[in-house]
Amino acid sequence: MVMSLMRSMVGVVLLAAVLALSGCGYNDLQGLDEDTKAAWSEVINQYQRRADLIPNLVNTVKGYAAHEKDTLESVVQARAKATSVQVTPELLKDEAAFKKFQEAQQGLSSALGRLLALAENYPNLKADQGFRDLQSQLEGTENRITVARKRYIDKVAEFNKMVRYFPTNLTAKFLLHLEEKANFTVADEKAVAKPPEVKF
Amino acid sequence: MRLLGRRGWGLLIGWLWLTGVASLPAAALDVPQLSGRIVDQAHVLPPAVAERLSADLAAHEANTSNQVAVLILPSLEGEPLFDFSHRVATAWKLGRKGTDNGVLLLVSIKDRKVRIEVGYGLEGVLTDARSAQIIRNEIVPRFRAGDVPAGVTAGVEAILQTIEGTYRAPEHPAATPSSSDAFATAAFAVILGVVVGLFFSRAHRGLGPVVGGGLSFLAAPWVIPAVIAGAVSLVLVGLLGMLGPSSGSRRRGDGGAFDGTWFSTQQGGWGSGGLGGSFGGSGGFSGGGGDFGGGGASGDW
Repeated sequence: MVMSLMRSMVGVVLLAAVLALSGCGYNDLQGLDEDTKAAWSEVINQYQRRADLIPNLVNTVKGYAAHEKDTLESVVQARAKATSVQVTPELLKDEAAFKKFQEAQQGLSSALGRLLALAENYPNLKADQGFRDLQSQLEGTENRITVARKRYIDKVAEFNKMVRYFPTNLTAKFLLHLEEKANFTVADEKAVAKPPEVKF
Repeated sequence: MRLLGRRGWGLLIGWLWLTGVASLPAAALDVPQLSGRIVDQAHVLPPAVAERLSADLAAHEANTSNQVAVLILPSLEGEPLFDFSHRVATAWKLGRKGTDNGVLLLVSIKDRKVRIEVGYGLEGVLTDARSAQIIRNEIVPRFRAGDVPAGVTAGVEAILQTIEGTYRAPEHPAATPSSSDAFATAAFAVILGVVVGLFFSRAHRGLGPVVGGGLSFLAAPWVIPAVIAGAVSLVLVGLLGMLGPSSGSRRRGDGGAFDGTWFSTQQGGWGSGGLGGSFGGSGGFSGGGGDFGGGGASGDW
């Protein structure tokens, strides 16, 4: 009688342990999922902030260098393209769409770089207070984008690890239907690592 | 232990050491220690200037809870300015946790670069544009003239004036916790009281609720959460105590050991979690847990 009681107790303990393990995985995965979404929102927030600075920038440059139509046009178009990508949390699950988003933002970075390089040739423009403020805001935004991206990358790595580790991968696959999320690629990192040169 | 012999052990230890050392990341510039509000590794500030600035910054912190620090380096040793500045600011955790009201003024003498790193909470008032203006109008002209102490002083004054008056600290941060902190502490108090109370219930039915309630009352923030926590614990221990020991002596024999260990491990975890956070650092200058998002401005001279 005592043996069977002890066995059933051991059984209960084991069951509790198994439940606790998978239970822990459940909450951790949910938590990381939310954290990743929040980190992603921050990334988008900063990209949007950059996009918002651009109309002002284009107008200021136009005031001094109106005939540089091509460069100005390319910036306006690149911005339109970058802001036209529909950004939802679903984007994180779709590798191809995520890549398109990255490329659009990269295109904007390149166009901005060219515009700012061009501004070097116009000393009056460089001395303009409004332009200087915009430059500093742009630099600040690029830095914020860098920080937001890094934090997103770290969070997604954590999440993806949990989705792949045993036994939480079971919880992820069968209970929550969570998959690995898209992450910024290394090739993209190198390109973006050189933000538009901003010289005062 | 005769498996390897002396040479074998030596080789093994040597190999482990090498692989351990070799796996260390390439040495980026180390984050300097936060020895005070002014960390002058390049020794360009006369002691009097450094002390006066430090006093100004301490006064500002006392008034507003903003934490402003200055770091002067001899050189960045190749590391990008923003990366290092952000790394130092987040490592030092300038500013209060949650409000993120910290500012770092970083000067690198050999690289002739200066940066103002602004925490999330102050970005609204010490904007990128204003930081850039401070660097351009106050700091760089003096640096160019060769007067680094004057530039640093002017920069610090300008930073303080820009943010002055916008953030007010609560009167006694330790004594008046925010509502969410109070709730968390009260919840801990209830759990602690219930667990301990149940222990005592085993000994004597009536003792448990009293002990549990009393402990919760003492552990929770004064006054109202304490009263509520004490009452909740009292009721819970009373109810749970009735469920346990009264249902048969045989169960008590077997279940007792199991319950005891479960309670003690749980209590150990919660106890340390609940109490550990309330003892902050005192004496000397240390960061308050603030975070930085990349705001601010850079410049060179």
